[in-house]
Amino acid sequence: MGRHSAAPPLELGTYEVVEASFGPSTSWKAGNLVVDLESLRGSAAKEPAVEAVEVHLVRPGDPVRVANVLDAVVPHVKADDPEATFPGVLGRLAPAGRGRSNRLGGVTVLSVCDLRAAGLVEEDEVWETFVDMAGPGADRSGFGSTANVVLTFTPRSDAPAADVDLAVRKATLRVARELAATTIGATPDRQETFRPIGARQGGEDLPAIAAILQVGSEGPFLDTFLYGLRMEGLVPTALDPREVLDGALTNGAFEWAGSRNPTALYQRNALIRELYEADGKRLRFAGLVVALGYLNTAFEKQRSAMLSARLAQLLGADGVVCTTFETGNSHTDTMLTVRACEQLGIRTTAILTETNGGLTDHVPEADCIVSVGNEDELVAGWSPDHVIGASAARAGEPVPTWAYLGATCQMGDLRWTAVPA
Amino acid sequence: MDGGSGMKVVHYLNQFFAGLGGEEAAGHEPVRIEGAVGPGRGLAAAGLPVDVTLACGDDHFGEHEAEALARLLNWLEEEEPDVLVCGPAFGSGRHGYACGSLAREAGRRGVPVVSAMTPDNPGVLAAEGAAYIVPTGSNVTEMRTILPVVAALAGRLARGEPVGPSEEEGYLPRGLRKNVLADVTGAARAVDLLLAKLAGDTRTEVAPSGDRVPPPSAVVDLSRATVALVSEAGCVPQGNPDRLPSRHSNMWLRYPLGGVSSLGADAYESVHGGFDTAAANDDPNRLVPLDAVRELEAEGRIGKLHDVFYTTTGVDTPVAAAAKFGQEIAAELHEANVQAVILTGT
Repeated sequence: MGRHSAAPPLELGTYEVVEASFGPSTSWKAGNLVVDLESLRGSAAKEPAVEAVEVHLVRPGDPVRVANVLDAVVPHVKADDPEATFPGVLGRLAPAGRGRSNRLGGVTVLSVCDLRAAGLVEEDEVWETFVDMAGPGADRSGFGSTANVVLTFTPRSDAPAADVDLAVRKATLRVARELAATTIGATPDRQETFRPIGARQGGEDLPAIAAILQVGSEGPFLDTFLYGLRMEGLVPTALDPREVLDGALTNGAFEWAGSRNPTALYQRNALIRELYEADGKRLRFAGLVVALGYLNTAFEKQRSAMLSARLAQLLGADGVVCTTFETGNSHTDTMLTVRACEQLGIRTTAILTETNGGLTDHVPEADCIVSVGNEDELVAGWSPDHVIGASAARAGEPVPTWAYLGATCQMGDLRWTAVPA
Repeated sequence: MDGGSGMKVVHYLNQFFAGLGGEEAAGHEPVRIEGAVGPGRGLAAAGLPVDVTLACGDDHFGEHEAEALARLLNWLEEEEPDVLVCGPAFGSGRHGYACGSLAREAGRRGVPVVSAMTPDNPGVLAAEGAAYIVPTGSNVTEMRTILPVVAALAGRLARGEPVGPSEEEGYLPRGLRKNVLADVTGAARAVDLLLAKLAGDTRTEVAPSGDRVPPPSAVVDLSRATVALVSEAGCVPQGNPDRLPSRHSNMWLRYPLGGVSSLGADAYESVHGGFDTAAANDDPNRLVPLDAVRELEAEGRIGKLHDVFYTTTGVDTPVAAAAKFGQEIAAELHEANVQAVILTGT
């Protein structure tokens, strides 16, 4: 028996939502999610840095554009220990990735705040973020196909940026926890069991594959959080991939809508699931490294790439999939990581978004790249009946792909790619 | 007039296909002809009725390109066509070049354009991706099979119907990358590609342009060389009078340095959107090191400083755009007999 065999698996129960509606008390029963608007609003508005919160429920096909979206979160709760949900940021500090977690399927919580109008961010940064529930852009964001509980925050006018940042993130996660808590005690529609990757028996002749998950952490509204603390300064670190699925990693980076990593895509993470699925059949899942991208200097970039590759080597990886966080600068971090791995004999695939002009950076070692699409492609104009979170929001105008939340997320969660035309 | 088809179609041909004459008519100036001529009748037979034919002698176009283009574009502007068809030009380099050049200009003005020629025809490069070009062989006998393909594609464009990727539709790639949904997620494709690579089968969904520039030989004598300052640090005169974008730049600019010994914080600033410019704006010489280079010039360690500096913002700039900036700036520097450049990056 492997030394990990006694460690408890992560049991992930999914409760599908077929119908979502407002009602007198929040509940889930047999596919019906009822949302108590007043209770959620009160729950979201608990934070002192928040002046007011509006709650909307939007469904696929609604003629609605949600603008100024900050994050997307899958409703999620630790069923045996709800106080430890999203540990370190919302919940009590406890290791994620073990025990029983419940989540809602087909529903996402979207946090919305016009940071520019609130004077909390620079004008020239690119914050524009849409989720369209219908129209030509509905399939660009991964969140046009789920029912969405939209929380629109008005920050208190004298609250410092860092306080607003924390308040919005906590309030959103709290609502996600409350929605999922309605399922505690019920039988899930689907249950997945994720055992520690080291507990696998056999498959020694299969190639060992690790993932290097790139994140960014540059300050308020530009951070990624690991167990509640911003990751800036972190050296590349090995995580149990189940921790990522179970709420240890949360997003607080709200620039560049298409290529940021929303919390929901850490929770759902297609790459970790794919590696679990193939584990013992086509490959051995060797582990997960989280590393910073968007580092400031050539030295920092080379150092992080070197340490990431070294950690992948310590995990015994024959190959790694390198993901990318946002665009431009971070593509150099990805390229240097690819080079550092290949120099150690570890084969690589990188996941990247393209621009109209091609790749932002490239090294000859990057000979195997997955394209998640051209972020500059314009999506035909659309005039929604309602806009949530902004007044105009490019109604009727073409919208670049990069403005749709998660549309070119470089963890590989969507099916988009780009081909010659 | 739209020929009763509900769409307006304009067709461009050279003197030969327009029936103006053979090589002796290659100097023919641009003409506008009502209705279809020559291959235009084949387009009509394939369901694309031509309303107006524009024609020009191949030599005339080559020798008076700007003027010929202006006249042709003027007619196009009057007609406001739903689609422009150029050629087919097959293997003819002169006809192809005229087709490609007109296609480029019309395409940039928002007119959908279809042309047809051999993949190595200079017209393909001249079109700069602004047209759908159907590949042909070099032989005119293909006319019969090519015209229906051109007509079908042009008809769909004229009706505003979507056109798929080049591989599916058969036109030459225009250098654009179109988003499509793959069968499986990017994550699944990444794992598949990695396992294939480990098994010796290396494939990629996107490759770089392959533009690697070999370093030039060293400057023989710097004390006689003209040295220029070039930067992507977004350094511009205070107030950014020419509106250099702070990111995703689509331009580069040049500013005079004659009589300037140092870039003062009161006169210059950085509009770069990719770093905190506070420290740089306290001393713009740290973006474009004019003060230091003026000292070297005074000491005779360099021959002289070029009298303008070149600037852009390098942040989120696609490689293709940056390569174009570089080529344009380098061409000016070469023209000015500059032997060395100090390139400050951020």
